[in-house]
Amino acid sequence: MTAPARKVCMLGDFGVGKTSLVARYMRNTFSDTYLTTVGVKVDSKEVDLGEPGVLKLVVWDIAGRSVLDALNMSYLRGASGLLLVADGTREASLRTAIDLLLQSRSVLADAEAVLIINKLDLVERWEVGPSTLAGLRQTMPVIETSALSGDGVEQAFLELAKRLAR
Amino acid sequence: MSEKHEMPTFSAGVEHHVAQFLFERAQPLLLQFDENWQLVNLHGDPARFGFDPDHADAAARQLRDLFLGMPLDETIDLPFVHMPNGRSAHVHLLGDSEPGFQVLLLDAQGEHDRQQAQQQVGNEAALISGQKSKAIAQLRQIRSELERQRMRLAEANALKNALIATLSHDFRTPLTSIFGYLHLLDTQASQSASVRHALRALRRNSNYLFTLAENLLEYARADTRSSMLEPVRVDLAHLVEDLEGMFQPLAADQGLEFTIGVELLDAQTPVLDELRLRQILVNLIANAVRYTKKGGVGVALRWQDGALSIEVRDSGIGIAEELHEQVFVAFNRVRQAAGSGAGLGLSIVKRLVSQMHGSIDLQSRLGEGSCFHIVLPGLASVVAAPQAGTDETPALGSSRIRSVLVVDDDPDICYLLDAWLSDLGFRVRIVGDAGAAVESALADPPDVLLVDVELPGLSGNTAVFRLRAKGYRGHIVTLSATPTEEARKVALNAGADQYLTKPINIEVLARAMQAATPRR
Ligand SMILES: Nc1nc2c(ncn2[C@@H]2O[C@H](COP(=O)(O)OP(=O)(O)O)[C@@H](O)[C@H]2O)c(=O)[nH]1
Ligand SMILES: [Mg+2]
Repeated sequence: MTAPARKVCMLGDFGVGKTSLVARYMRNTFSDTYLTTVGVKVDSKEVDLGEPGVLKLVVWDIAGRSVLDALNMSYLRGASGLLLVADGTREASLRTAIDLLLQSRSVLADAEAVLIINKLDLVERWEVGPSTLAGLRQTMPVIETSALSGDGVEQAFLELAKRLAR
Repeated sequence: MSEKHEMPTFSAGVEHHVAQFLFERAQPLLLQFDENWQLVNLHGDPARFGFDPDHADAAARQLRDLFLGMPLDETIDLPFVHMPNGRSAHVHLLGDSEPGFQVLLLDAQGEHDRQQAQQQVGNEAALISGQKSKAIAQLRQIRSELERQRMRLAEANALKNALIATLSHDFRTPLTSIFGYLHLLDTQASQSASVRHALRALRRNSNYLFTLAENLLEYARADTRSSMLEPVRVDLAHLVEDLEGMFQPLAADQGLEFTIGVELLDAQTPVLDELRLRQILVNLIANAVRYTKKGGVGVALRWQDGALSIEVRDSGIGIAEELHEQVFVAFNRVRQAAGSGAGLGLSIVKRLVSQMHGSIDLQSRLGEGSCFHIVLPGLASVVAAPQAGTDETPALGSSRIRSVLVVDDDPDICYLLDAWLSDLGFRVRIVGDAGAAVESALADPPDVLLVDVELPGLSGNTAVFRLRAKGYRGHIVTLSATPTEEARKVALNAGADQYLTKPINIEVLARAMQAATPRR
């Protein structure tokens, strides 16, 4: 009776809020002190998708890097979903997220990907413009979130879970 | 991690030592599972990594999740994995353990902490430098935006000041003509009561208009004019006479008693900034007369111990104590509410008083009248040249008919001056520009030249300069709408003997002409 499980990796530049998003999603907590993630932290949560049933998301929070080195590549093995995370207040982090997606394709050709633009609570300081996001939405789901307030977080994970259940 | 190195060989003793050392550091925990991930064996201390041996299946599930989606028959190394108790461990799936799984955990906390400390510093520095350059860019933008706005404001302000100055300046000339004709009409004998009444209303309103224009000009000037005082010897008695002439009729008209007096208790001639002093008095008295409906207005000047004390007292509506500060603020609502008016007068008075290093004090209660008391220190230390003509007693009784050449381009003013000067017994010639003035004055030198500065083409000052250069020795009175000390100096330097500012009235003109008529 165990639910089917899927491995999901958080990918994105350091400081964009990957660890915070996982903490919000898994434990509904938030801390504003920044602590660099070294290695990987794995958490899991079961998502009830209704009709398709329950899916267990095994979420890998990986140290943020702007390029995927051999180490990070090894963490990616076996993943079927990617949560790409960018920080709306740092335009460069969006480019990094897309770069990371392209690099990951060499080991994860078929992984489902959802793009998260985080720090929605700081939207007045966002460098990422709505037209950029509109363009990206044509190729993949893009969800604005705030790990601080919790806005969009559940929705982002759910969106990915739905795609993984198909 | 997976690289294979050529291992040097060591003695058994050394190898044992290394093994011992690494073993202690790594605190290995080996977990053996069967093919269904049921724990079958365990070596080492599970508590070190937060595993509870009594809940082996929870630990098994967590470890199994780590290898989700990976081929389980290979050796897999996962460095730095966060354990349930928060420690970091290297996790190895050992591939050759069929039919079950062997998972080896090696403590990596120390290494983790070192790496984290290092990366933390690097990442934070990168984040901060990103924020810093962003903040700097923003600041720069804000600054340039502020600078742009400042320039726009400065421009708008300059434009506003220029506009006010031009407007109020332009009021002077028509006012001169209005005052002049009023005087002409005043002197006409046959007047019905209703005409007299109308004339008084005209005079009252043009006086008010004049004060208003003066105040606007002063207000606009405040930003640009230096606060340098322009000390001159002031004939207080004469000033008082002027003020009486100006306000007595207004007060009488309103059924008010108007008294003004001066006491000279110091032997020294008062030296003050006359323009500013006059403006202060005109404003205070005009205000007092305006806001007093019955009773009277009293003005007392006292020159004593090198200072001028001014008291303007009225029995008017008064000012509530809580509003005393406010009445000195430009465009304040107190005065505007009490009647019409821009509320500029008292703010200008206050500014002028402080420019003259004086003090102002208001005593008033609502409904009980007001008393303004001002003390202005004299500027005795500054030696002022006596103004040409003003100190002299005019010569009277000269039998010869004097001639005046009037140079002005405004036909109304010309007509008026013609009328006045003829009244005063002068023979009057009139020309409209500087060139004609020079020609006419040289051809038939008049006793007095009355020249307007603001002429079309060459200025009146230029005409004066040329005439002096060509040897004209008659008396020159320059007229101008610009009441600044600077403009006065320019005119005198050009060669004028007297400088009068518009609007002029017949008393001023008469005095000037008397001074101009030499006793030589
Ligand atoms: N204001 C705001 N800050 C956030 C948000 N998410 C994360 N942060 C902060 O951003 C910093 C980096 O977050 P972290 O989760 O460690 O980023 P990671 O390096 O991608 O794991 C931390 O100081 C967080 O508190 C958010 O949605 N809003
Ligand atoms: Mg992190």
